[in-house]
Amino acid sequence: MTSVAAEAVHEERSRFRARLDSWTSPSGLFIAAVLVITALPVTRTIQDPDFWWHLRAGQLILQHGGLLGNDPFTYTVANHHWTMHEWLNEVLFAVEFAIGGLGLIVLVLSAVTWLGLFAIMQKARLRNPGRGVLGLGMLIAVVAGFPIWGPRVQMITFAFSALTLFLVERYMVRGGKAMWVLVPLFVLWSNLHGEFVIGLGFMALILVAEVVGGRLHMPDPAQRSRLLPLLYLLIACTAVSMINLNGPTILFYAAGTQASAAQQSLIEEWFSPSFHDWEVLVYGAMMLSLAMLIVFNKRIRARDVALVLVTTALSLQSARHIELFVAASTPVFIDQLALATPRMRAALGRLRPGPARTPARARVQPPLLFRLTACAMLMAGLGGVYIAWLVPKMQLQPYSLAYAQEFPVCAAQWLAGAPAPLRIFNQYGEGGYLSYELSSHGDKVFIFGDAALMGDQMLETYASAETVAPGWDATIRRFGTDIVLYDVNTPLTDVLDHAADWTKVYQDGLSVAFVPTDKLSSVKLPPVPHWAPGSVCGRQVKATPNTGAQNQ
Amino acid sequence: MRRPDLLVVAGASADRRASASRIAWIAAAAIVVLVLTVQPFSNSDVWWHLALGRLITTSGIPAHEPFSFLPAAHAWVGQQWLYEVPLAGLVGAGGAGLASLVMGLAAVAAVVLAALSIPWSSRVSGPWLAVAMVITGVVLNSVAGVTSAVISVLGVAIVLFVINRWRDGQTPAVWGLPVLFLVWANMDAGFAAGLLILLAALLLTPRADASRRRQLALVLGISAVAVLANPVGPGIYASMLSGIFDPGVARSLAGFGTPDFHQWWARLFEAEVVLVIVLWTVSGGPDRFNAIAGFGLLIATLYAQENLGLLAVFMTPQLAIHGSRAWARHVTPRLQRRSGRAARHLHPVATTAALLALTAAMLVALVPRVSASAAASYQASTYPEAAATFAGDHFAGQRIYTIDTWGGYLAYRFPSGRIVFLYDEPAVFGSNALALYQDIDQLVPSWVHVLTTEDIHHAILPAEAREAAALNVLGWTVNCYDPTSKSLVMSSPPSGTPPPLTGLVIPPPGVPDC
Repeated sequence: MTSVAAEAVHEERSRFRARLDSWTSPSGLFIAAVLVITALPVTRTIQDPDFWWHLRAGQLILQHGGLLGNDPFTYTVANHHWTMHEWLNEVLFAVEFAIGGLGLIVLVLSAVTWLGLFAIMQKARLRNPGRGVLGLGMLIAVVAGFPIWGPRVQMITFAFSALTLFLVERYMVRGGKAMWVLVPLFVLWSNLHGEFVIGLGFMALILVAEVVGGRLHMPDPAQRSRLLPLLYLLIACTAVSMINLNGPTILFYAAGTQASAAQQSLIEEWFSPSFHDWEVLVYGAMMLSLAMLIVFNKRIRARDVALVLVTTALSLQSARHIELFVAASTPVFIDQLALATPRMRAALGRLRPGPARTPARARVQPPLLFRLTACAMLMAGLGGVYIAWLVPKMQLQPYSLAYAQEFPVCAAQWLAGAPAPLRIFNQYGEGGYLSYELSSHGDKVFIFGDAALMGDQMLETYASAETVAPGWDATIRRFGTDIVLYDVNTPLTDVLDHAADWTKVYQDGLSVAFVPTDKLSSVKLPPVPHWAPGSVCGRQVKATPNTGAQNQ
Repeated sequence: MRRPDLLVVAGASADRRASASRIAWIAAAAIVVLVLTVQPFSNSDVWWHLALGRLITTSGIPAHEPFSFLPAAHAWVGQQWLYEVPLAGLVGAGGAGLASLVMGLAAVAAVVLAALSIPWSSRVSGPWLAVAMVITGVVLNSVAGVTSAVISVLGVAIVLFVINRWRDGQTPAVWGLPVLFLVWANMDAGFAAGLLILLAALLLTPRADASRRRQLALVLGISAVAVLANPVGPGIYASMLSGIFDPGVARSLAGFGTPDFHQWWARLFEAEVVLVIVLWTVSGGPDRFNAIAGFGLLIATLYAQENLGLLAVFMTPQLAIHGSRAWARHVTPRLQRRSGRAARHLHPVATTAALLALTAAMLVALVPRVSASAAASYQASTYPEAAATFAGDHFAGQRIYTIDTWGGYLAYRFPSGRIVFLYDEPAVFGSNALALYQDIDQLVPSWVHVLTTEDIHHAILPAEAREAAALNVLGWTVNCYDPTSKSLVMSSPPSGTPPPLTGLVIPPPGVPDC
């Protein structure tokens, strides 16, 4: 072996050894632990009421071999054209469900969300913060996002947004060609979720911010020569996004949702976060401390300002956008925290004047084998905790008590026995579950969770009936409703209970059903079931005994 | 005798002109702010405050809740009597228009004081002061009006003014603060914000100024004791804290909720906060007191939107000082490089003419709004005036259900006989009374039971209220419909009447106007 080759091998070995030392150091272990801990809150059972109609839509797409032109689930807006902006995701849901049931879907979506968090951390690492700050920032971010984590389609946009921001930032800092991976990613993203335009928006925002920031002489601008390729990337991503079964109009789809007054005012996830709710307190604290850090450091890049401002505005407008705040503002938060740390340490040191410090002893690391063993034990322990956390979430089945207390599982089982299809006036958040369970039976619902498909007019119509505004009765009847299936103890059911022209026909622990009295003879309903005491519905009904219901 | 130095005379003249220009800008901005803050009785609480003001004038401060037939859980907190009595006096003397004008002037005084709290040494120019004042006025527009919150906005402005003077070395002014707190604590609970600002100033003043710190500590102590001189006595702090942290209060009062950022005014508030943070960042940053007080008020506003006025008035000097500094640092050098000329000032005559023209235009906009006819028209369309008259004529002395935001109006219209259900004073009514109200308002299963047990047979409701449709299902009939305020008077049916099979339609056919 020549001396040059030997030197190269030696250099390679020492680099590997240095990396090993770094990974097995306390700070390296801390980061590894943070990565595992961040996986815990993003791994949950499926609670998103929209999940069920996504799953059913995916099954229907596979059955039909193409997109469904019109709404297949409702009897109110069946003539509305359905832009299936999440069609690929729905197909994936159906395939995963067929292979591994709900558990596989939970696993995949949790992994996707975690990958988004990993991309955020990688972006933050580009600015070389200390590992303590990096880990602390990531922990704060994952708690800040607590209200929105969980297996839902939105997490795809979260992960892709984080990845887009990471790749663009990497290019701005280091250059290279890795950012072009975004072109095929956008083809995928635009077919998975209609909010891919957020990624395009982020790129455009960074471009504009860098141009404006350059004119304002803001700190750490990207090299000017890197802006033009970024513009080309933006154009390419925009162009390939149109390679979509819905065609080029998909580009404008998300804007319609953001501009819909009915969606913004009626759907809970579009409401502003309430700081009386403990779940959003950490998000609020992160937002405020980021503002304080920026004022304290007086140093921030133009693109960071733009991303923080836009995602703060979006997240204050709608709680569901907290994910975008976490994706875009966490690296800025970590960067600002790292910038402030030396000054804060110095200030704390001044506050605690003590005896002159003795010179610090040189740190001696324990032997590598010991560190590797400790590292393996820690990771095994944390891995074990994660698996213990994950498995019960994966094992939850659609016919479980947990779902029967959230969705009309038992009522749907009852209605599935009806001899003829029914038109069901339902609760907005339960339309998806009823469609999943009953659409194959031919039943149709009044409304379900694709608000854009429903349209503002239908949302307003539904809201007027739900809130028992004058004319509610006529609204329900005008579409030819056969039965009202709604949660117990809601304004509508409490009024129906007293209405002379409605008859209660079913009640369990969650749901109650009414039929217009004049339709009692024509609507064919199944007999009220007698659930076995140990069954899921038996246990659910036990909570509120089925009183007053009569079979017709 | 020595002749005065010519340079000194020239400098004095320039100072006089700068001072005159500053005053002109402040005056112009104050007029704009007045137009923005003079508002009709849009805050529905004004009615029960008015009713109380009248009651106190004749019978003194009540010991118990005086208008509702519901048993209140807590003794009456007559802490705001000093706001309520003058308010009733104003309305009695000059109608709603006069009350609107006076409260608008109080808001203007707050904004002007906030602007004047900036020390001369900061050399903030008139235009920056005016810009800051107008921005504050636009933000205040959403919270101003005839409400005791304006008193607290004024109180905070006075505290800021005094504190900034004190920090500049003008120490005697702080001795006026205990008197301010004594008056303030009898008008609005927002005095607590003033005390906290004083505490922040005390804690964040450099330790080197020991004598001044001692003085401020003494003033703070006296002020904290002075606020006890009110009808609630020492219980005032406990009463205030229980109001802030009572979840029932947060649920039932919009002012105690987080701002809804779909509303334009919340977006405006957000924009103002962002602007101040940007200006702080690019102008060298605020001092510790302003940074901590600013973020404290921001947290308070995010927690309860009714604190927006306090934050807005605090932001006025921050916008002016840091906007001016940022401009001088980043924009002026470039402008001077480009033009090579010094900035020019408007001629005094032109300034005066512009000011007069602005005043005239604003007065043209303002005067019709404070007229008696405008107030009457606003009230008739916003509150169930005709419906209440009808109910008073036909169901005198009988209990009436209405929504909480109209409860105060009914208390004003029917102050005696305890016929009102509930109004927006949840801290006094307590959770049981609130639960009874919510049973009906949210139509929870026991709502019919509440109507029966509370012996309620009449209701005044907005036509679109869910209660109206629900009562119709029970067979309640519509006695009259008021198309101006879109309200209904409803009554329970005689026993044995079969319930209707058709739903409520608005406007109800065949029903007379109230």
